[in-house]
Amino acid sequence: MNEEQTRKVVREGYARIAREANPCCAPKNSCCSKAEPAYEIGRHIGYTDEELGEVPEGANLGLGCGNPVALASLKEGETVLDLGSGAGFDCFLAAGRVGEKGRVIGVDMTPEMLEKARENAGKGSYTNIEFRLGEIENLPVADNHVDVVISNCVINLSPDKKRVFAESFRVLKPGGRLMVSDIVLLKELPDSVKSSVQAYVGCLAGAIMKDDYIGAIRDSGFAEVTVVDETCFPVQLMADDPAAGAAIDKLSHSTDRGEGVTDSVVSLKVHAVKPNTAA
Amino acid sequence: MKRDLMDILACPVCKGSLELEVTEENENEIIAGALKCAKCSEIYPINDSIPNLLPPELRDKA
Repeated sequence: MNEEQTRKVVREGYARIAREANPCCAPKNSCCSKAEPAYEIGRHIGYTDEELGEVPEGANLGLGCGNPVALASLKEGETVLDLGSGAGFDCFLAAGRVGEKGRVIGVDMTPEMLEKARENAGKGSYTNIEFRLGEIENLPVADNHVDVVISNCVINLSPDKKRVFAESFRVLKPGGRLMVSDIVLLKELPDSVKSSVQAYVGCLAGAIMKDDYIGAIRDSGFAEVTVVDETCFPVQLMADDPAAGAAIDKLSHSTDRGEGVTDSVVSLKVHAVKPNTAA
Repeated sequence: MKRDLMDILACPVCKGSLELEVTEENENEIIAGALKCAKCSEIYPINDSIPNLLPPELRDKA
């Protein structure tokens, strides 16, 4: 797939998820019940029950790999930019942390997701969140304006990850922080998985090697690049992710010289700082 | 979008500053209008309160 095709596949895939994720549909088996897969995924990747309970219904689609560390570090009054904000889950949590004096801007390139996010914002009384359609490789944000860039399991989908980090660097104030959670690889994936469209949308085929990912952040000018947390990604949980269903099947059956590939996928949380000396 | 967000927005293509044209607004926010780049003259629509700041080649397919 070339970059153009990749973007198209990702947008279409997530538009479908936005349309199909159906909050509170069947009265008997409510989507909001705690047995709901999105809720279980949320807990597994490190959000607390309180956090999962404080967002509007429908904001957690169970698609992320978890960014609670970044959220915990937010201070009152800060300006936060969420790359690939989706239905708004992390934005809503961040909005609570930065308070009325702060603001949260969610950027997503899928109109269907943004509509969902706006609906969800309407369910709570958020005055400090703004959503806009935009591309994370071409951020619609002025230089040196943001305190914290957060992103939860999104950059792996970008065909130009270096550019995403360079753009993040540009919009951050000197001393500002990049706190991303993402899927990276410890071993290369078999070609059969790499070439799978479903695996791309499900966050797998677009993932790059961990060292390359960290290297791309450093190359963009960031200092103090630190891996805050690294956990084996619960691939079996992704089976509940509507984007990844088909990909998981493929993954669990594919072998690389007799070894499963599921242990080559990790969820990484990285913290980096734009040096104060940077303009 | 809210008016006070203008200072943080920039053209996604050339990073120039944007000028706001409002066609519909309520007490909270701008519902419809456009953002025009002062530098490269690209125009970005605001529909249903959401500014569409995708680069032009992607926007048309949205």
